[in-house]
Amino acid sequence: MAILSTLLSYLSSHPSPLRLPQTSQYLSQQAPIFLSSSDSSKDTQETWIVYEQLLLSCLRTGDDASAKLCLERLSDRFGRDSPRISALVGLYEEAAAKDVRELESVLKGYQDILKEDPTNMPIEKRHIALLASLNRTEDAIKALTALLNHSPNDAESWSQLSSLYYTQGMYPQAIFCLEEVLLILPNAYNMFARLGEINYISAQGTNMDGLIESVKHFARSVELCEWYLRGWYGLKLVTGKILELNRADKAGGIERKKIEALNEMATKKLAEIVGKANRRERGWGGFDEAEVEAAKALVDSSDVKTVR
Amino acid sequence: MFTSAKSASIVSISTLLLIHSCYSAYEHSLISIGAKNSLPLDVTIETLVSVFLLCVGIVLNNSQELKPISWSVWSGQLERERGSGPYGYLEERLGFLDIRTKRAEFAKWAESNE
Repeated sequence: MAILSTLLSYLSSHPSPLRLPQTSQYLSQQAPIFLSSSDSSKDTQETWIVYEQLLLSCLRTGDDASAKLCLERLSDRFGRDSPRISALVGLYEEAAAKDVRELESVLKGYQDILKEDPTNMPIEKRHIALLASLNRTEDAIKALTALLNHSPNDAESWSQLSSLYYTQGMYPQAIFCLEEVLLILPNAYNMFARLGEINYISAQGTNMDGLIESVKHFARSVELCEWYLRGWYGLKLVTGKILELNRADKAGGIERKKIEALNEMATKKLAEIVGKANRRERGWGGFDEAEVEAAKALVDSSDVKTVR
Repeated sequence: MFTSAKSASIVSISTLLLIHSCYSAYEHSLISIGAKNSLPLDVTIETLVSVFLLCVGIVLNNSQELKPISWSVWSGQLERERGSGPYGYLEERLGFLDIRTKRAEFAKWAESNE
């Protein structure tokens, strides 16, 4: 098979290659082969998508030579001044920077571009990411709220703001931002699960209203995605906690029976996922191994409790 | 499962039949000016059969895998097959990629794997 179609089918079966080191490693190993092949000179949309992904993977694995080549070809094609390419150039400079002084000069470069064009979104995002990476979270939050002021429809930015607030322990603000994401994308089940997690964490295992709120969000996430491991895990964990804390027939306005039924259902689904993922059945290979392991531990621990 | 060659041949045969039936109807209309003759039965049958076959052929010709109609089934399938659904980008957030942390993380992983 030609290298371009190999890479395209790999990318379609691994939609976020930067999540795991293995997938980045594979892509960066393929990069020199692709760059020297005849496929690399095709001017199609797919080719440039592959270029961008290879660039990101090579930067991650430290193969700066291939990354530079990808970047050069992208900027030859689309021009160095295009917002998307200039953000990739910035990303390359950040990755190649050796010390804080060089990073500061990259940051200065971003600020200069933003002075000329204050609404250059890709550069604004790089600016914010670099501020956060330099541990200047407060500045990053300020810049991000400014971005959201002029483009409140950008779900990615709301999600980023939520995680920045979360790192600062500002849970109500983090929850608010996720709710904004859901106003834009009401089907985003992973954001529902995240809401459930933050509600659970901020409830600190004792605040019943927070726990009930968390159950509702987890339940919505698995309603929108029937095999969402994280959603089922959260549902089981939080309903288990509620059952442990509250012996009354009603907890926070929901009947105990209902909570028990939810807990049982989550246990069943988790057991099914763990079983199928561990037997490596066809069509069940997408789960993260550590997550499956954690789900197995959760199911096993509740088994012990019921036997007692 | 139908192969694409088979369905392609159905489409081409039925197209030929359809063209043929149109031509027959046209020729018939030329020789029967003024007469009360309606379209002969065989031309009618040929038209109906060719259109039916053409529809079947186009449906079978679909080479893409059919997606589940229900959203939760579809997203569930994406999660279990590839580990990331249609909203994975909201958590990955490539626009805000912290490349230095990612690099350090990879270097550590590569070291422990050697």
